[in-house]
Amino acid sequence: MPGPARIAQGLLTDASSSVGFRFDGRMLRGLAGDTLASALLANGVRLVGRSFKYHRPRGIVTAGPEEPCALVDVLGPRGREPNRPATTLALHEGLVAESQNRWPSLTFDVLAFNDLLGRFLPAGFYYKTFMAPGWAWERVYEPLIRRAAGLGRLEPIVPAHADPAETVHDHADVLVVGAGAAGLAAADHLGACGLRVILAEQDVVAGGGTLLDERWRSWRERLCAALAARPAVRTLTGTTVLGAYGHGVFGALEVLPGAAAARFGVRERLRVIRARRTLLATGALERLIAFPGNDLPGVMLAGAALAYLRRYGVAAGRRPAFFLNNDEAYESVFALTAAGIECAGVIDPRSSSRAAERTRTLGIPMHVGAVVGGVAGRREVRAVSIDELDGRRRFMLATDTLLVSGGHTPATALASQLGATLEWQGSLAAFTPDLASGAGRVAGAAHGVFGLAAAARDGAAVARALAADLGRGADASDIPEPPPDSAVTPLRELWEVRAPGKPGKAFVDLQNDVTAADVRLACREGYEHLEHMKRFTTHGMATDQGRIAGLLGSAVLAEARGVPLSEVGVLRPRPFAQPVPFAALAGGEVREHYRPKRRLPLHDWHESAGATFVSTGLWLRPLVYSRQGGWPAVLDEARAVRERVGITDVSTLGKIDVQGADAARFLDFIYANTFATLPVGRSRYGIMLREDGMAFDDGTTSRLGPQHFLVTTTTANSVAVLEHMEFHLQSVFPELDVLLTDVGDQWAQFAIAGPNAREVVSAVVSGIDLGTAAFPFMSAGAATIAGAPGRIFRISFSGELAYEVAVPAKQALPAWSALLAAGERFGIRAYGLDALNTLRIEKGHLTTAELNGNTTAGDLGLQRLIKKQGDFVGRTLAQRPGLTAPERLQLVGIRPVERTRRLRNGMQLVAPQAREASLGYVTSSTPSVEFDGWVGLALLSGGRERHGQRLIGLSPLHNEATEVQVLSPHMLDPENNRVRA
Amino acid sequence: MSAPEATPAGQRPGITLRCRPADVVELAAVRDRVQVLKALARRRGLQLPDLGHVVANASTLVLGVRPERWLLITPPEAPGTAADTWQSACVGCGIAVDLSSALTALEVAGPEVRALLARGCRLDLDPGAFPSGLAAATIMAQVPVILAALTAGVLLLTPASTARHFREWLSAAAQPFGLLPDGDATVAPVSADALT
Repeated sequence: MPGPARIAQGLLTDASSSVGFRFDGRMLRGLAGDTLASALLANGVRLVGRSFKYHRPRGIVTAGPEEPCALVDVLGPRGREPNRPATTLALHEGLVAESQNRWPSLTFDVLAFNDLLGRFLPAGFYYKTFMAPGWAWERVYEPLIRRAAGLGRLEPIVPAHADPAETVHDHADVLVVGAGAAGLAAADHLGACGLRVILAEQDVVAGGGTLLDERWRSWRERLCAALAARPAVRTLTGTTVLGAYGHGVFGALEVLPGAAAARFGVRERLRVIRARRTLLATGALERLIAFPGNDLPGVMLAGAALAYLRRYGVAAGRRPAFFLNNDEAYESVFALTAAGIECAGVIDPRSSSRAAERTRTLGIPMHVGAVVGGVAGRREVRAVSIDELDGRRRFMLATDTLLVSGGHTPATALASQLGATLEWQGSLAAFTPDLASGAGRVAGAAHGVFGLAAAARDGAAVARALAADLGRGADASDIPEPPPDSAVTPLRELWEVRAPGKPGKAFVDLQNDVTAADVRLACREGYEHLEHMKRFTTHGMATDQGRIAGLLGSAVLAEARGVPLSEVGVLRPRPFAQPVPFAALAGGEVREHYRPKRRLPLHDWHESAGATFVSTGLWLRPLVYSRQGGWPAVLDEARAVRERVGITDVSTLGKIDVQGADAARFLDFIYANTFATLPVGRSRYGIMLREDGMAFDDGTTSRLGPQHFLVTTTTANSVAVLEHMEFHLQSVFPELDVLLTDVGDQWAQFAIAGPNAREVVSAVVSGIDLGTAAFPFMSAGAATIAGAPGRIFRISFSGELAYEVAVPAKQALPAWSALLAAGERFGIRAYGLDALNTLRIEKGHLTTAELNGNTTAGDLGLQRLIKKQGDFVGRTLAQRPGLTAPERLQLVGIRPVERTRRLRNGMQLVAPQAREASLGYVTSSTPSVEFDGWVGLALLSGGRERHGQRLIGLSPLHNEATEVQVLSPHMLDPENNRVRA
Repeated sequence: MSAPEATPAGQRPGITLRCRPADVVELAAVRDRVQVLKALARRRGLQLPDLGHVVANASTLVLGVRPERWLLITPPEAPGTAADTWQSACVGCGIAVDLSSALTALEVAGPEVRALLARGCRLDLDPGAFPSGLAAATIMAQVPVILAALTAGVLLLTPASTARHFREWLSAAAQPFGLLPDGDATVAPVSADALT
């Protein structure tokens, strides 16, 4: 079997399937089913990384996602991925992994001298030392510290680095988290009650602690088979529940096994699970004891060694010693001994225990009433110091491995997120969660029921109570009798071995290099609250979230403060429970699916006509019918409108159908101007205000029948205006008989503008007289357009004689084509958004550049539209002095005095003698087709009184100062003769 | 079982995706006149279902996903005909607005349809929770979607302007399940046999 430390057949490994991989350039072999950690241990590799701050050598401490030290870079086709725990990284052929935080090599790391300076680098060292000079922080200190500290390296983010991911939404009556003895029993019971169950297990197989005890094999297999036979129960392995978000919503990250990953083209899947209830069977995690040298490679949690033996057939050491304060952890002693490993001895602070007695009968040296006071070794454990409880040394014990257990801490993170209160249990030396049953229930070791059989019974009992909550009583579950738990002697609470005067650091948080001394320092400096201590020392941060030592930090702090541990509590856990790739959170909404695109009914026509598209909101709109773009193409289009005729697609405008007996009354409330007086068959320009009195949106509203209006909105505000109207209809005027319908996508709408517009439109439209007498400016009516039932409006945004025709979007192409054909003899041109903008700027019409949320109707020169009587949205607040002050920014037109100079959007307008004070700014500008040179619109303080003045337009970004003349915004045809032609 | 996991991709496509050309009319009850409108619809052979339901009446599918409003889905006719017919029939108790061009109808079907929709739909589409005959308005792939569970599959209505985006998303998400390309040959008008 590959690897000298592979001594047995593992539960998960396939001895017939050898897998080649590289670690730090070394070619090694493991087995299918291995993790990187188990394969490294099998090959005798103990040193796997360097620590965060002191660059101390570090090894493998755990066998799960709680791993603080064995984090590696994985080099794949998508680049370097940092901080992957070797303990959960599935081994595969060709895997290339590298250790982190070392240079030039793992065995010789230059920055390891930090460790020698350790006494000068306590917690908070950076904050205190690198204070002055201030400029040096950004330029010197931070770059240096960043190079020295940290673990993995994040390479520049490029799209190809992100693994594709997907999101899946799941629903269940009950989400059971954790498929150990309690979770399996609970899921089976719930399934038997006919409930829909999702059983989420972070491990690659279900079983939890039962996987480590051969006596439980048949129980586990029977339960798993029973669950598989229940269609209402889904077991999701490799799925970590990351967070509880209230209202029964949970986030979970599923790591797909190879075949599923290949099929779905994703490595990870974010599951959003909505469950009526949750049952947390999250188990308990073994915890570390703080003693000098407790971070040396070869120091491992006792349960991890058991896992490596059972799951992968790997011995964690050749001659291990044990440092245990609880009987449960002795299972590792017995298992390793049974596998033929010689145990150097067991150190237990208790004077006697059942497990110790059994150990003695196996001939293993027992050292009771003792602790480990230090570890000898440079890059790995060589010996441990066995001390009396009072600190006196008994002797040094030669060993290559020290397996530690300080007891077990229930995994309460999810329960806490669900609002559980934590209660101190002195007999367990741990907090257990107390959860209001409406949110869910906790079962098994997660609420302090230790022992597999006890946990299985507890899981079934809690499931029974939960099923009753959901109104289910009947239980057809046939859970086999579990193997009995061994009787245990209670643990002795032991957090830290204080060895004053002895060398070596006693670590509390291995990942962040936080020592017990650092915690005491934090307390001395006033960071007495646990959350303050965390922020001062970084205890409990980063990828492992302090899972094996969170409580240890609390205990050291409690001792330093001289208060009971129950008073200090534990760090507040927040989502996520473990690191999640951003790609997994983004799911499928990346690249072309990043955000929706709204396409015009004629999108394909515009594309084939050579349009350059621009995104306006979600819409893709033709900017100009030229792939190169540029002003000449735009001005050609605009000139065609001024001189002949042009056609443009304005289908993006918001369109709201307003019907009902109270439609006019409602619109009079929504708009600042009046619509009740609008005759049928006529259109009117309208302005609506927000509640705070600022201008919100503008557009034309047409009366199609006595009780039927069609409101058009700007493209940008189409959704907001509909929401605004629905809000007022439903909550302010629920008594009105009005029905609003969004018909924005229903109608394709085209503007045909220019001196020849009437001839072109007349050729295509039937059923209506378009003569000025019968259909004057601001008329609206139904008509047949290219054979389709449509609508026609005589309105103009360009300042030219213009019509807008609307047809059902499915009839867009025949209507558009017919209009183009009819306009051919006049040289009709399709024009895009840029030309539309040029035309409207010349005319002084508004878009969102001016309706920008900071302008009032008065600012925009629309004061005369505002009705004097009757209430409407925004009326009262629009009369605030601040909104009516004469010095407000008001809409004006501007032109450069020197016609060859250009204007720029955003130019600040200043007086020639006072250039430091902005009087306003340019909102829109364009080269003109009507006038010589550029024209623009601007918002200018007291602008209406400044017509004729000369100011300076400054654009510091372009280093430009341009003399401009202030004019009326209605530069083109102020008498409106053209539109009435 | 919610969002069933995909069975291994075999020869049989897990998903068929069809365009369903249809006329759509939104029928809305005038204030306090909903019973009159329902009675009128009944006389015309149309049952207007409760909120959150879809029913089939002769050649019309009727979806109720907004209070006192129904979407009538019928085989395509000349533009505006269906809406005009209803508008003139329900004067005084309802209004009928043509949305034939505003909404695009797609039908997804196949053994993996719920697994596919679970990639974007937050609603519980388990047959026990959302059986044939239910309808809902929701958001999928960031765009509004109205969905109705039919016997043959799930009818999806999405705004015409985002229909291409939605369909591209749906097709991409359906690939791992085996997607039957929907040539014109498979396009069929909506009919009552969709819901039995």
